Amino acid sequence: MNNRKQIVVAVAGNPNAGKSTLINAIAGSRLHVGNWPGVTVEKKEAGFEFEGHYIRLVDLPGCYSLSPYTQEEIITRDYLVQEPPDLIVNVVDATNLERNLYLTVQLMELGIPLVMALNIYDEAESKGLRINASQMAETLGIAVIPTSAVKKSGLDDLLRTVVQVADSPEAHRPKRLNYGEDVENALEGILDHILHSHASLLDRYPVRWLLLKILEEDASVLKAANITSGSLPQQPFDHLRRAHGDDIEGLMADARYAMVAGLCREVLSRPEKRNPELTERIDRIVLNRFLGIPIFMAAMWLLFKLTFDLSAPFGEWIKDMTGGPFKRWTEVVMGTIGAPDWTVSLVNDGVIAGVGSVLVFVPVIFAMMFFITFLEGSGYMARAAFVMDRAMHAIGLHGKSFIPMLLGFGCNVAGIYATRTLENPKDKVLTALLIPLMSCGARLPVYVLFVGIFFPDNSGTVIWVLYILGMALAVLMGFLFKKTLFRGEVPMFIMELPPYRMPSFVSLCLHTWEKGKHFLIKAGTYIFAVSVLVWFLLNLPWGVENKHESYLGRAGSVIAPVFKPLGFGTWEAASSLITGVIAKEIVVGTMGEIYAPKKDDEGEKEQPTLGEDVKEIMVSFSGAGIKAVSSLFYLPIEAEKEEDTTALNEAVKGHFTPLSAFAFMAFVLLYMPCMVVVAAMRQEFGTWRWAGMAALYSTLLAWVVAFLVYQGGMLLGLGG
Amino acid sequence: MTFLDIFLMIMIVGGAFLILYRTLWKKKGCCGDTGCGGCSSKKQI
Ligand SMILES: Nc1nc2c(ncn2[C@@H]2O[C@H](COP(=O)(O)OP(=O)(O)OP(=O)(O)O)[C@@H](O)[C@H]2O)c(=O)[nH]1
Ligand SMILES: [Mg+2]
Repeated sequence: MNNRKQIVVAVAGNPNAGKSTLINAIAGSRLHVGNWPGVTVEKKEAGFEFEGHYIRLVDLPGCYSLSPYTQEEIITRDYLVQEPPDLIVNVVDATNLERNLYLTVQLMELGIPLVMALNIYDEAESKGLRINASQMAETLGIAVIPTSAVKKSGLDDLLRTVVQVADSPEAHRPKRLNYGEDVENALEGILDHILHSHASLLDRYPVRWLLLKILEEDASVLKAANITSGSLPQQPFDHLRRAHGDDIEGLMADARYAMVAGLCREVLSRPEKRNPELTERIDRIVLNRFLGIPIFMAAMWLLFKLTFDLSAPFGEWIKDMTGGPFKRWTEVVMGTIGAPDWTVSLVNDGVIAGVGSVLVFVPVIFAMMFFITFLEGSGYMARAAFVMDRAMHAIGLHGKSFIPMLLGFGCNVAGIYATRTLENPKDKVLTALLIPLMSCGARLPVYVLFVGIFFPDNSGTVIWVLYILGMALAVLMGFLFKKTLFRGEVPMFIMELPPYRMPSFVSLCLHTWEKGKHFLIKAGTYIFAVSVLVWFLLNLPWGVENKHESYLGRAGSVIAPVFKPLGFGTWEAASSLITGVIAKEIVVGTMGEIYAPKKDDEGEKEQPTLGEDVKEIMVSFSGAGIKAVSSLFYLPIEAEKEEDTTALNEAVKGHFTPLSAFAFMAFVLLYMPCMVVVAAMRQEFGTWRWAGMAALYSTLLAWVVAFLVYQGGMLLGLGG
Repeated sequence: MTFLDIFLMIMIVGGAFLILYRTLWKKKGCCGDTGCGGCSSKKQI
């Protein structure tokens, strides 16, 4: 262990330069990547062995400069300054050289050995950009390695250089950039003062960087270093102000821009004539003032349609398997080991009915995550935010808030953390309050169950309506909050629109799996645990005959009247909603247990053998595959409308009408965010206040909306 | 209902609460054990 040298490598660069992709390509990790700025919002690590060294790569949130504005930029700067790594790999987007180099010159000031990965080199080449890497390396005094994280080229080169530089850091200090005589003199003056009265600071911070920050009067650095600007000698500042005007920070920024522009003139040559690129042509349509929002809505609709059509057959298959062979096998196994009767019921009517009814929806969730990953990777996500910005600006929100909200479609928790990309703390809280209204993957099982029973012909569309309903309410509530709790100016929204990129199929699958696996983990852990507890609650007091009289039944009955005006005032619905606070899928799981068929319903049937079972599993799986593919091409496979006759479906059909089913779905969409979201909000904002507020207002909103849906529908005569 | 039954039940219910506690209360990192799309895993090779 000890003869192996450990190298800590910070990977820093502009947002969307491909830092996370590069680390994934090198270390085989699965960091979240996406084609929009601001994907990574906290420090992440991946480690591996390379030629006798242990290399720890630290992925940092992207930033445009080291004078940070947003929380995730602060994370990056604090890390680089306070826990200096052995080496920084500066990932530079070769297609945006000038903007990226602005950060590079600042990173050089940190005095940490620096290696530049000139990434996205493949795209730069195909655009006809020519970059003289060796000249750039010479001018800056750092190694410059052209790489492509996607094509996996140049990576070995990069690693070898990293090891080399780490082995002899002294020989690889970046060149010191000269800011001109006036600035350099001022820096000297400050250095004298620091040597006199704050010498200890020189051990804590890189010297030149510290001097520059003091000169720029960077508030957070002065505060951290315990220097009041009054205690500084005024002479260097005055001298500079007299020569160059009052804005010293601006002066420094100009100097850096000038260096970068000069460098680019030397090393970069652009092709003479350029055709409008594909990205521009697509954007002309997609970002069109009038078509933008309709196109976004249509894209969403298509997403649900595809999700639903592709996954439904596999869901059916899982349903048949858990309710059929799987259940039989556990019965046989438990019978042979002589397990007590009640444990057999616990496993069958508790675990299999509960977890099983959630597992049925795993294919839907995965399909959904697949399409969301595609949207993220292609670059459309940033456009959606841009398009919505116009609409949202009108009511006092801005489009950047929309990205965390879109991420909330996958999992609300992800959305809550993505609010870190917002500059203004008020916007952050406001956006986080709205995210629970975005329908996450965990609510899909509820929709799919009800839609499959009551709206089998328009399933995709009804689910789409629910998502739109959530978004529309988010906009409405955002407006109300902005007018009451969070008054203030709406800052202009500036967002880079990255070029469209076709994500590779392999990376799509990997990232789909990363997102989807958490739902499997949930099913295996707390959904499982809750299923067990619900079984007990349904069977206590011990020996209770009628589930209605069980503890859960009684609890449900107590609050059921609250839901009466909403069209679902049954104890079954009420108790599912109670348990669903832990996670929304559990609504379905609990229903599965409540409506689990009573024993001896099935009578003595011929039991198939193990071999027959296995064969049946295979055959029906390939059948599901064929159905999914044919639905994709709208080949009507012979319409053998199998009636769904599971106990759960039958029972739901008996207890709801299409109208009350819709009200119920709307309620599930809106009421109280799941516990994990509440906990995430509490963690992110450090107080229960906003988490509590989100739980409270969303539950009230859910009630009101479901009430309006149900009563409105009754008035319109849709009650049937 | 034998003593064994009661013992089993207590173990099962206790186990279920333990799982709940470990997955919902004791959070690790950004998404706790439950995770979500926004958080990526750390993998060592
Ligand atoms: N063509 C090409 N695309 C790349 C390359 N590297 C990254 N990309 C794409 O660039 C986009 C951004 O990649 P990320 O790794 O998420 O960027 P990041 O630097 O981590 O961004 P933040 O986390 O937002 O700071 C993704 O769509 C990648 O597929 C490359 O070498 N060539
Ligand atoms: Mg990243």
